[in-house]
Amino acid sequence: MTLSETSTQQRLAKFVAHAAGGHDAVIVALERMSGGAVQENWALDVKLDGEHRRWVLRTDAKATVRESLTRAQEFAVLKIAHAAKVLAPEPLFLCDDLAVTGRLFFIMERLPGVAAGHKVTRDSKLVPDGGRLARELAANLARLHQITPAHAGLEFLPTMLARDCIAHYRSYLDTLSHPYPALEWGLRWCEINAPQHEDTTFIHRDYRTGNYLVHDGRLAGVLDWEFPAFGNPLEDIGWLCARCWRFARPDLAAGGIAGVEDFIAEYERVSGRRVAPGDLKYWQVMAHLRWAIIALQQLERHLSGTERSLELALTGHIVGQIELEILNLTGAP
Amino acid sequence: MNDRPDARDLLEIARHTFTAEVLPAVPQALRYTALMIANAIAIAQREIAAGDAPLRGEYRRLAGLLSGNVAAPDGDALREAVEDYNRRLANEIRAGRFDGEERAEMLEHLRCTTEEKLAVSNPKALVDPVAKQQDARAEKRS
Repeated sequence: MTLSETSTQQRLAKFVAHAAGGHDAVIVALERMSGGAVQENWALDVKLDGEHRRWVLRTDAKATVRESLTRAQEFAVLKIAHAAKVLAPEPLFLCDDLAVTGRLFFIMERLPGVAAGHKVTRDSKLVPDGGRLARELAANLARLHQITPAHAGLEFLPTMLARDCIAHYRSYLDTLSHPYPALEWGLRWCEINAPQHEDTTFIHRDYRTGNYLVHDGRLAGVLDWEFPAFGNPLEDIGWLCARCWRFARPDLAAGGIAGVEDFIAEYERVSGRRVAPGDLKYWQVMAHLRWAIIALQQLERHLSGTERSLELALTGHIVGQIELEILNLTGAP
Repeated sequence: MNDRPDARDLLEIARHTFTAEVLPAVPQALRYTALMIANAIAIAQREIAAGDAPLRGEYRRLAGLLSGNVAAPDGDALREAVEDYNRRLANEIRAGRFDGEERAEMLEHLRCTTEEKLAVSNPKALVDPVAKQQDARAEKRS
């Protein structure tokens, strides 16, 4: 049972018609979109009662990664984010009946725009005003961070404050046969400098250039809602401003599109939360630690034979760059 | 003794041929994969060229930091000895043994080791990209 089979598409059309409360749905196009090793995205064009709809069908790929949400949880997260006026694709229909496509999936609105990090950071026609885009990202993130742990329907999310992150990354390093002293140093530095007090809000945990759509120079919506948690809102800021997500413009700290001042000032204005320079650095270090752990997890999939792949193998060779950035940030000579 | 050319020469000519003759003809959809292949060969070339000098240097520094035996073993035993020392270093950093005045020497060691790794993995990363970009902009202006 695959999505390219006619019989699957007929069942899918029937599901869509029913879920949308329409009479008649015809699938006009269904094509696999690029990206997404963990989840598959399919561009789905449907004529629903004669009206052309452009959607995305999102479903599990075979390779599942630890820590990622189920499709049903991701659907719930998107619903809540959307209701909080966060720019994101509107989630439309969730299907938990395996008889339709053989896998759990949901359908969401297909937003226009470009996400690719190297284009967003390089093409001034695409982003004529990087400062404005950074401010839109900041205001959007501030709205996202207004969702609190008290919010109903998000009970499945883990809580990951600074010390939880440190413990979590250490426990992963402990499963590896190879030691990483530079990462251990970064973790120790984060432990020594851990914040006394932390706010706890909903956090996206992959809010960065490459994961949002830019259309007509403006923020169209944020993608990739697979890894959210409750945690320190500053973590999302450190992640967006980490050097590893600046693509063609390492000199522009806010995601390779603007200086960090543009972003922080707007975030502080909308959220009412202060971001001290020390906080930013702390969460940039944490961002690189997390990225190193993810890179090592990907490398391990190759080394263990679970998924032999040149791309995963080469991921092992970016760890040194991440370590160098951690050393630079934590004051190595 | 194996027939010539050796691994170093074979990788060199294989990569040259691939980038000069195959890469330009590769369709767009496979271009990223082709570049990854060229990159993987280049890393292997640099690893062979570097030999075990970086590993010996790393051993020496680790032995100094951890008050171990400074006489480095050879071959596989060297690799294992460095791995053992690194495991100890990792544990001691976590336990806070390098929080105090030994921190500077430990950090100098980590920077040196990281830079030697990058000389193999990605030498471009050793040039500070922000400084490089600012230089390029300054050049454009002048």
